Amino acid sequence: MENEIHQVIPINPVPYSRSRQAGEAQTVLDHIVDDFQENPVAMQYFYDLFRQVYCHGDEIPHSGKLVGTTCIQAPEELIYAFGATPVRLCNGSYHYDQRGADFMPAKSCSLVKATLGMLSSENVIPKIGKPDLVVNPSTCDQKKKSSVMIEGMGYSVYDLEFPNVKESEASRVYWRRSVREFANQLRKLTGKRLTRANLKAAMAMTGRAQAAFRTLHNFRRQTPSLILGKDAFLVTNAYFFDDIERWTTAVEKLNAELAERQAAGFRAVQSKAPRVVFTGSPPIFPNLKLPLLIEEAGGVVVADETCSANRMLYDMTAVDEWLLSDMVDSLADKYLKPCTCPIFTRNDDRKRRLLDLVAQFKADGVIYQAFSGCQVYEMEYRSVAEEFNKAGIPMLYIETDYSPDDQGQLSTRIEAFLESLKNRKKRHA
Amino acid sequence: MNYFAGIDVGSTAIKVALVDEQGQLAGVHVTASGSLFHKNSTEALNALLNKLGLQRDDVRYLIATGYGRKLFKEADDSISEITANAAGAFETGKAYGGVRTIINIGGQDSKAIRIDPTGNVENFAMNDKCAAGTGRFLDVAARNLELDLEELGDYHFQGDKAPLNINSTCTVFAESEIIGLLANGHGKSEIIAGIHYSIASRTVRLAKRVGVEDRVYFDGGPALNKGLVAAIQDELGRELLVPEYPQTTTAFGAAILARNDWQEENAG
Repeated sequence: MENEIHQVIPINPVPYSRSRQAGEAQTVLDHIVDDFQENPVAMQYFYDLFRQVYCHGDEIPHSGKLVGTTCIQAPEELIYAFGATPVRLCNGSYHYDQRGADFMPAKSCSLVKATLGMLSSENVIPKIGKPDLVVNPSTCDQKKKSSVMIEGMGYSVYDLEFPNVKESEASRVYWRRSVREFANQLRKLTGKRLTRANLKAAMAMTGRAQAAFRTLHNFRRQTPSLILGKDAFLVTNAYFFDDIERWTTAVEKLNAELAERQAAGFRAVQSKAPRVVFTGSPPIFPNLKLPLLIEEAGGVVVADETCSANRMLYDMTAVDEWLLSDMVDSLADKYLKPCTCPIFTRNDDRKRRLLDLVAQFKADGVIYQAFSGCQVYEMEYRSVAEEFNKAGIPMLYIETDYSPDDQGQLSTRIEAFLESLKNRKKRHA
Repeated sequence: MNYFAGIDVGSTAIKVALVDEQGQLAGVHVTASGSLFHKNSTEALNALLNKLGLQRDDVRYLIATGYGRKLFKEADDSISEITANAAGAFETGKAYGGVRTIINIGGQDSKAIRIDPTGNVENFAMNDKCAAGTGRFLDVAARNLELDLEELGDYHFQGDKAPLNINSTCTVFAESEIIGLLANGHGKSEIIAGIHYSIASRTVRLAKRVGVEDRVYFDGGPALNKGLVAAIQDELGRELLVPEYPQTTTAFGAAILARNDWQEENAG
């Protein structure tokens, strides 16, 4: 009798393509593709890739063990040298951010929360399968404290010890030892041996990807711009999970198209569009909120200093060492010395790099994004602002997170900043 | 005669200003935003034109600004309210030896702007994404105290007790705090002064973030509240320039920019 009144409704799993995460990705992707004109034809590869992976939930095939990384400080050349595939787990979804709020205090970084939320869900995105190992470099506090939580979700986690003073010799020694220990860990995971030939081949592979990135990066010096920043961010975001060789080929095609654009005198923006260098907390798809707001308002992001793009791919590894151990050491140095992450006690390199980018890319101003709760970026703002103030370079500081509800207010601030850059340029002319 | 219009489509009120070719203010009109932004904006513009005996064709160039700037499609251009506010305050301030810092409190945001001696925006800051320290906060407080918004200013000066501390930064929590203070028998004037000081200290912090330089201009609807003006002056320790029509500075600035743009386009 009671069956007529009460009903037990069984769980009916929603297919990924109809999940809220997929919807979020779809909305952003449509915006990136449809609301801007004359996107490069070669960008279609990346648009399709994101649609497959983020909107449909298609898996990307990979070879060997899958090693998830939560930060760019895990040397990917080593992972490739052991025949494994790295995948960067840093996530940009607001839905996962909300889900991840279960693990972290409310005022924590959206990126860390979203990554935890994603790892704790059924749908690990990018859809590449469950990582055999998660490498968590001990960089910022929030990432450090994530290890235990990720372990609690049933993953095997490796803490890659990372120093927080860059300049000292002790740090250098410590970090080299950490990297060697990481290689041991990978040997245990894969059952393979690290050889000079394998490491050299891995470095050549990432080297080719970095070279393609550099070429793309250099095309962005052109005034007026040949490509928008929203597309450039999408390209580097794809590097997180795409097959590296396929990715490199796609970027080379894009570069070829940009060369044609350059020869044809093409312009992706108006000649007076304010040129912006983007720095701070990294834009990660689908959270391209700020770059999109900047470019909707008529500005153009010409370069960046973030760990989802420039910092991840710009610095190349020298491979002229003869001995395997020296090669590993030089690899370790490449991950420590040029790093401009704010987790270091002092970070003059970041300021130098930013000033350099502004000069080389003829930028009119800088936009600094700090995710609420990302203390290191929030704290480093002061010293960076002082430096720019001295140099007479305008900077807009924006504290935000993955939630879309501040877009109205942010668009006002960004437009006002771009208007002031335009006026400034007018008066200087 | 050629006229130029600025229309500031705010969250609470729509403000229209008209200037002539010399940049002299011809007239202003203020109306509630309501829910039909577009219709109300058009009506506000027409109302001002009627008042001045002008035709739509007399307006050569129109710039929209404010929260709803993109919704008013009849405009020739749109500009952020920060740039428009700076232009309006700079122009108004000329008669007073120049303005370098602007404090604006609107219906749903508050901002501080620093401009250079030529009127260009140097730095600005806005409140976080909530209603704390904005006009809406005063609205809510007046309702709790069963007063009209216009009465708050006078009450500020009536009490003989020190202003009470309103500790909540959130409008909703402050509402319950105010109710609690009333329940404990505190007088309206000390509560109101406390509210004004709570807004003032938030606003002054915002201004200090951009760097305060003389002279400081205070505008936006809440600048009509003399009690709030006194509280900000006290917290800031500097004199304030409050314009005759504090609600319409931004619309006036947009009208000035409309005139400049039109003259630039028609110069050759």
